[in-house]
Amino acid sequence: MLEITDLTVAYGGVIALDSVTLSVPEGSITAVLGANGAGKTTLVRTISGLVKPRQGSVMLGDHQLVGRSPEAIARLGVGHVPEGHGIVSELTVDENLRLGGLWRRDRADQRVAIDEAYELFPPLRVRRSVSASSLSGGERQMLSIGRAMVARPTALLLDEPSLGLAGALLAQIMQRLSALVVERRLSVLLIEQNARSALSVADQAVVLSLGRVEMSDTAERLAGDDALRHAYLGF
Amino acid sequence: MRLFVIYTLDGITNGMVYAAIALALVMIWRATRIINYAQGAMAMFTTYIALTVIRHGAPYWMGFVVALAAGMVIGAVTERVLVRPVESRPPLNAVILSLGVLILLEAIAPMLFGGQTQSFPVPVSNIDIVVGTTSLPVSPFALFTVGAVLVAMLLLFLVFQRTTLGLRMRAAAFNPEIARLLGIRVGRMLTLGWGLAALLGALAGMLAAPSVYLYPSNMDEVLVFGFTGAIIGGLESPVGAVAGAVGVGLALSYVSGYVGADLAPLGGFVILIVVLMLRPQGLFSFGRQRQV
Repeated sequence: MLEITDLTVAYGGVIALDSVTLSVPEGSITAVLGANGAGKTTLVRTISGLVKPRQGSVMLGDHQLVGRSPEAIARLGVGHVPEGHGIVSELTVDENLRLGGLWRRDRADQRVAIDEAYELFPPLRVRRSVSASSLSGGERQMLSIGRAMVARPTALLLDEPSLGLAGALLAQIMQRLSALVVERRLSVLLIEQNARSALSVADQAVVLSLGRVEMSDTAERLAGDDALRHAYLGF
Repeated sequence: MRLFVIYTLDGITNGMVYAAIALALVMIWRATRIINYAQGAMAMFTTYIALTVIRHGAPYWMGFVVALAAGMVIGAVTERVLVRPVESRPPLNAVILSLGVLILLEAIAPMLFGGQTQSFPVPVSNIDIVVGTTSLPVSPFALFTVGAVLVAMLLLFLVFQRTTLGLRMRAAAFNPEIARLLGIRVGRMLTLGWGLAALLGALAGMLAAPSVYLYPSNMDEVLVFGFTGAIIGGLESPVGAVAGAVGVGLALSYVSGYVGADLAPLGGFVILIVVLMLRPQGLFSFGRQRQV
């Protein structure tokens, strides 16, 4: 369970997140929707320790994440798939995957986890020893998600996975991910500008507007609310 | 013809020393985007430490090991204490800092070790090998120099390419933010990278000192030649840096042999200026931009 309470972030004097409270139960996906500049990316960057909040708390199970370094937060079980996938393009596909769990003690399970990532996204296996820079957009997204999974996270933060992907490919990736979420009891926070695709896989959804939570409900009900869709989601 | 062979072998030998410095500069550039102008002064300092150890009766090899270890420590401490605070600042801060370290080390050295020029011992003879009645244009120390740098390069290559520690260091250098999100302690990797680079520099210092002698600014020219080699190699590429540095060694050796020994240092500067004017991205880079 990932629980965010009263989280406030400011860049200089500008408030980017204003008392955001939300929770992501185990085995479910919570979508965070909103326009550009609503604070979506700031939210995930704060959870993973790249941005220091002014106040508020982020709890993963019994651990307070606020105040810890990004590397410590990753080691506590937060996998962050950053916007624009964030693969290390100078390394090979296999090296990128191995990076995911280098800090873990259990070397044997590390190998199993890498193998599982290849099973999850078979196109990666074929290209394991090529430079990650030669991958297509979809393959990069698979690599980034697969790499996060190698660390066996308990919470997964996905920042705009739909960016630059064809709808069919995205659906395929998200379908594989959904199965894992249930199986591994993952708490997934899915940041999306593309509300339609996010609501189709999410269990809950939160609408951010100018750093505030405007709306919070089940994904189904949000998708069915026409007035809301027009006002905040644009479809 | 015999002269040409002599100049060529000399050039390669000196070039390998420049290559060690060039490689150290490239390692630090790749990890922290800083040109470490103090690389030569650090090597001077560790060579003085080695000389002190040897003067106290320890064998050459003890001094050798102590110098490399001292290099590792000086490099790591410099990164952790001095470089870390300026890493997130504009690049000019780091440039000035590394120049400051250079001046500081060259000022402290005469206080601790005396300012006069001192000779430095060799582990094996630096007189040309004689087989029967013919003298070969190469000395055991020249062979040792080339061999030591090659072994150091091979070990570094294996560490970076074949170990998980090396993978961590590469990830930290290529993309620090992503590395941190994957649980890699980037700060430690940078400290280690500076330590390894200074270790390589210390090796260059030990190999250069018998011929350039030991005094507080004895590595200044070696640094310029190594820097030239690294620039020719495009600063990003370890292979390019080594090739560039050996090229500089050869060019200087030919200038010194055919034109005049006094002109060799000038030749080094001319090469550097010409390369910076015509191809500042280096001969070995093909316009590949780093992806963010």
